[in-house]
Amino acid sequence: MAVSWVERVASFLRSPSRFLASTTAEVFLVELLREQRDERLTYDVKLTMLSPLCEHPTLLCPSACTGEETCLELMSVFSHCPPKYTEFRCQLLLTLTTVLVSTGCVSAHSHASRDFLELLLKLAQDTYYDPADVPSALRSTRAAACECLRELEACCPGLLSQHLELLNGLRQQENPRHHQALSGLYAAVLRNGVHLLARQAGAGPEGLKALLGGNAAVAWEAEPDSPALTDRVASAPLPSVLGPSGLGPSLQTGPDCKELRSVLSSLLEESYLLTPLSQAALFHALTEVVAMVSGVSPAIFKAQLLRLLGTSKVCLFHCTLLMKAAFTDSLFSAEDEAFLLRRLVALCQHPQVSTAAQLFYTDCLVHFPENRPIGAADGGEALPVLFTPRLAAALAPTMFDEPATMLARLNVSALVHLEEHGEREGGAAGGGLACLWDHLLLRLHVVEHGGDRAGVVTFFRASFLFLCHFGHVERYAADLRRRLCALYLRHCRLAPHVLNLADRAQDGAVRPGWAVALLRCLQGAAVSAGDDLAAVSQKDLHWHLRVLARVAEEGQIGQGSTVDFLFAVATSASPASRNEDWRLASDLLAVCRHLLAHPGLDVLLCPLADVLQHVARRHGDTDVRDHARLYYSLLTALSREKLAGVLANGGGGGANGGRQDNKCALSAMVVESQDLTSALTIHKARTPVFHLVAKGRAGGWAESTPAPEDDDEAAAAAGTDPGAPDADVLSSYRSQLLSSGSAAEIALSYELRHLDAGPPGFDRLFSLRLHFEPSAGRFAALPDVCVPRLFREGASAAAAPPAVTLTLRPRAPYPGTLRCSAIFTAQDELTWHAALPDVHVAFRQLFKPLPVPASWGPALRLRAFERLWDEFCSGGEAGSVGEGGGGDASPDRASSLFCGRLGEAELEALLKEHFAPFRVADPGDVTGHRVLLFLPPRSHVLLRIRPQEDAVQFHMATDNWRLLPHVNDFLLSVTDWEARNGVDS
Amino acid sequence: MSIRALWIITHEKGEHVSVRFSRRFPTVEYRAKSLAGSSYQAVPEDSAVLQLLLTELGLADPGKPYVAQRDDCLNQRRTPALELHVDSSAKGILWPVLVISRGPLILACLPLVEAGEPRPPLSSLLSVSQGLTLLEGLQSFLGGSEIKTDGDGLAPRLALMPSVLQQVCPLGTPLDVPQARAPSTAGVPAAAGSPRQPAWRTGQHRGRPAVNVALTETVRCMQYGDPSKQDLWDVYGTVTCKCDVEGVLPNVTVTLTLPPNGSPLQDILAHPCVTSLDSSILNASSVDDGDGSAFSGPYKFPFCPPLEPFKLCSYTSQVPVPPILGSYQLKQQQEVNHLRVSVNLKLHESVKNTFEYCEARLPFFNRVQMSTVDVKVSSGHLDVNKEKNLLVWVLGQKFPKSREVTMEGGIRFSGQLPGPVDPLCTDLTAYLKLYFKVPDLTLSGCSVDQHSVQVYSCAKPKIVTCRELQSKEYFIWNSTGPAPVSSGQMIL
Repeated sequence: MAVSWVERVASFLRSPSRFLASTTAEVFLVELLREQRDERLTYDVKLTMLSPLCEHPTLLCPSACTGEETCLELMSVFSHCPPKYTEFRCQLLLTLTTVLVSTGCVSAHSHASRDFLELLLKLAQDTYYDPADVPSALRSTRAAACECLRELEACCPGLLSQHLELLNGLRQQENPRHHQALSGLYAAVLRNGVHLLARQAGAGPEGLKALLGGNAAVAWEAEPDSPALTDRVASAPLPSVLGPSGLGPSLQTGPDCKELRSVLSSLLEESYLLTPLSQAALFHALTEVVAMVSGVSPAIFKAQLLRLLGTSKVCLFHCTLLMKAAFTDSLFSAEDEAFLLRRLVALCQHPQVSTAAQLFYTDCLVHFPENRPIGAADGGEALPVLFTPRLAAALAPTMFDEPATMLARLNVSALVHLEEHGEREGGAAGGGLACLWDHLLLRLHVVEHGGDRAGVVTFFRASFLFLCHFGHVERYAADLRRRLCALYLRHCRLAPHVLNLADRAQDGAVRPGWAVALLRCLQGAAVSAGDDLAAVSQKDLHWHLRVLARVAEEGQIGQGSTVDFLFAVATSASPASRNEDWRLASDLLAVCRHLLAHPGLDVLLCPLADVLQHVARRHGDTDVRDHARLYYSLLTALSREKLAGVLANGGGGGANGGRQDNKCALSAMVVESQDLTSALTIHKARTPVFHLVAKGRAGGWAESTPAPEDDDEAAAAAGTDPGAPDADVLSSYRSQLLSSGSAAEIALSYELRHLDAGPPGFDRLFSLRLHFEPSAGRFAALPDVCVPRLFREGASAAAAPPAVTLTLRPRAPYPGTLRCSAIFTAQDELTWHAALPDVHVAFRQLFKPLPVPASWGPALRLRAFERLWDEFCSGGEAGSVGEGGGGDASPDRASSLFCGRLGEAELEALLKEHFAPFRVADPGDVTGHRVLLFLPPRSHVLLRIRPQEDAVQFHMATDNWRLLPHVNDFLLSVTDWEARNGVDS
Repeated sequence: MSIRALWIITHEKGEHVSVRFSRRFPTVEYRAKSLAGSSYQAVPEDSAVLQLLLTELGLADPGKPYVAQRDDCLNQRRTPALELHVDSSAKGILWPVLVISRGPLILACLPLVEAGEPRPPLSSLLSVSQGLTLLEGLQSFLGGSEIKTDGDGLAPRLALMPSVLQQVCPLGTPLDVPQARAPSTAGVPAAAGSPRQPAWRTGQHRGRPAVNVALTETVRCMQYGDPSKQDLWDVYGTVTCKCDVEGVLPNVTVTLTLPPNGSPLQDILAHPCVTSLDSSILNASSVDDGDGSAFSGPYKFPFCPPLEPFKLCSYTSQVPVPPILGSYQLKQQQEVNHLRVSVNLKLHESVKNTFEYCEARLPFFNRVQMSTVDVKVSSGHLDVNKEKNLLVWVLGQKFPKSREVTMEGGIRFSGQLPGPVDPLCTDLTAYLKLYFKVPDLTLSGCSVDQHSVQVYSCAKPKIVTCRELQSKEYFIWNSTGPAPVSSGQMIL
């Protein structure tokens, strides 16, 4: 059980959403809380079981109410847990804090949060110390309680500000084992208290004094509903006052704030005893306090500065930078600033500093808080004035740097040499710039010689960075262009990188024109391959075409050479497979498409038409040929304006739109544009739009199929005139049944109507094509049915619902289902595909009268009935009807009896309602009724209905016993229906 | 000053990636939500974070040569903080995700930004440097650089993570970094009435007092044998201490001294347990010419030692000459696969000629295997590795009296199998790398005198000091081929 809980918790933490898909949060929470009380579980397992609440409290407690209840439950667990399970108790406190805060329960009105705060304050003051306790000062309930208080204060600033005096007392106790936790807590409460005070209008030294001496209960404990509360407890965490804007709230106190100064001094004095991380937090909080209180001089930090500056810990050094940003020259002289900068640069490349820290320091360097900033104050990157090329030399990028370090250093060096170069504008380029260029070339060398993916990506990022800074230095910009082209020719697979660089350069960061010049170069490089196409590999050819497609987007670049190249590719007698290559042709057509939109199309018209015509005629792939033909007709038939209109329709216009399109083409090969794609695509409607409704009464029987015109002749030919003897009646019936195709069909009439709750946007539909799929082979395949239009009722005045007649050819005389779907055009002119609700063909819908020629009179029909009846009931020698009369006795024949409670009138109604077309009249028998049901393809059910005293007997005979259950069900339903009807009326 | 979430991920060269541990801090998340307002982006589930991280780190889809999202040149990763684009909207961004990655281990955390829009610079957020400190601490706790993903080392340490985080980062605010080894055996809690105990010294030492001070200097070098390219070398030193001394707040002072005329120690970084530092100690910097009147010791470091071994301080130093001066020449013979090799190494006279080990390795990249090695060495002996693409010249413990050794001969490459590939070392661009260690020597001349270690405690501890010099990345480039260094470098 314990193991399963550990696993369940692990699986929850891995993916809460997946876990909760198999259970609910409520159930899981209840289980978790219940198991906390299970004494068979160890505290280790219980501790693990707290993690879901600790990490995803809002998933398990979605409402404040659940949060509150959970907290009360956990507090009760805490009170029952023996003190020796320190780790579990600590985790419980942390969990409680987490749940309370996350569910928004921390308020005066929450019992749980009041009780919990009381508990925490009690624990924080608990000086009891068990010598057997684990030696770690951090691993104790008291330290955990302090940490919980600090977090509560951070989330609800001002919560404990009335407690400063008490906390200060605890902090200064003779031997607090937890002075780190208490100092951290005190500093956080002090910072929030001062911050809230400073936000109050008119607050002054008295307010500060009251704050420091405050020793009331928890802010809202004393007077939960006091309106003054809103001043003291903020509803949301307070942002840092040391933000980039620099100006936080400030508290005017005058020079007299002895109490605060002494508190700060004592905190600073002992800061050395804290771990570096806690020291950093303490310094940060105190920096904020001093920044807000004008009466305390920042010089109070002076004594700590050297220690912080000399440290190897990144967070402590960072504190001095934050102090510098907050206090500038009131704490740091110009000399200090130079020293700090030197130190920072040294740290950026110190061999004992980790790469991540080096990167962080380098970032601090380009955002250095200067005493007199003249650079970018908007948060952008700028180097401090004191940062000289001499200092920058230490940060020159090398081949052995990691990519991120190299880019950071390249950036810093570029910023330095940018200034240097600016000063020498017109003269020789600076040595520093040459050095960066050399470095870039070294990176290029690596890429040229098969550098790995990371090396390639790094080179292109470095190139982009270099261009951003020095794109205006034509010497280097042109050289880089040339080298990139050479690189591309050597390694065509780098095309996406080169094009990406061109795109980014064009997006504005680099001097305009560079990207176009690069693309022009690339065009030259790509078409030069056309001189000897046979030597170009298939892959390289793909890349060339991709590059040319991108180049063709640029209106400023002449495309004559591109078209020549395309012609060469299209007509080259190179490997036969190329002529079949759909991808290659698609790439080629993508170039053509861009060329169609090119402003210089007039010049290209004839050669481009040649290319397209060639492809349209000669290519091995039908799709490609069609495509080329489309372009060809577009090119030759449309005026420039119209062509531009057609193409712009998809591109969205502008270079950027074109770019987007390009990406589409790269992925989807023949994609033309978004619009065209959707016009050519059949969209799928998620829900049915319309359905087929049976015409007339639901489940009504089939339309009687008109007897075949040649029935008379057929009957005559078979020699079955009305006067023929009995034996011939059946054989003539059977022979005409075989020859008549229509007997095996049933025609069902429906209306096509909109569903009431169908999706919107489908009120007017056109060119509907309905498709049917019979289930499990019950019916022969049906042809599709076309309906010209379907309007929603009310959408068009005089439109009646279109009628649909389905002609079914049953393969067996049983009920079945037709699956229906439809393709149609909606009013948005898109083509849609939608499923329709299934059409069920009921048993009764299969009934047909005896399929005999119209010339057969009632007497002949009666004779046929009697003959069939005798045959089915005898189990005799005659063959089944379908077998043409001859042959063995059919084992399928059967007779049966059904009784229903019906009165005479009811029987009459029933016969009229359900059996009228199938009755075989017998003038001689006034009490009995005969009904003959023919079920295609060739089954018969004969009924003799005889009313008795209190019931009606249905005698049945059939040549297919499998029909009996269906007949039974049918009779049951109709007689029941009659009975019900009788009751109702 | 807090972090919202933490992830520990392992991978093997981009494959078999998995989140091995993660932790979210909902109270910090609550603050993040309230501080960020409308620009708030919640932290997605681990699997989503993992995918986004891998994309940003360039590790996603290792099989594909180009993925726009991963390889865009606009995406300049110049800071330790990544942007994760959770959804395509401009607001769906998690920032700043700090990542440190070494070997198979990736550690990441998301610090809280205590400011709204616009996005503040990274350098204004204390939570960033705190997050980095925590991640580095976790990294060394999990085994530093020698970690194996499936080895014995990682899994037990990962199992300790919940308990470790309960102590060092209980509610998302980092309080400390985990100690690599549990101090519980050595530590005994302080009795009542004693002075304040540092939070980083969790108990007192009981037992024989002893102080160990070890000074290790490392020399790195790039020699080109080309007058147009200036050779580069640097030296940095580390003082490691293990102090087993009694007392709640014991006071120890270690003093580093330089010989007369020694160049000053630069860029000194001290452990945070050092109580006070003189400004003159911190003044010398390698990045500036500095003034001639530079302080040259003695360098005093008073401190209260933690219980575990720690790095008291580190420094860099500028020494006038590298300890071993070398030249390396490869000449292409008429035959395509025939190289003439000639190496000369000279030990500087100021360096003690007693090595723990010394060897030169000559790798050959982008070539097939060596078939015949017809090379003579004046001292030591020569090995060829099994793969036949590396010459190892073992120089042993001593250079000959002349302090100069040579290697001459020819190598033919006509093996069947291709050797290792390095796009940097093509054609005649090649290097040899020196590996050596010299006991009881520092290049800067810096030393810790046993008698200068002062311990203020009742019992007199045993004091042991030692020093050594080792090489790292000591390259000597072939002077007949282009070396991968920009010629302009030194014009600065």
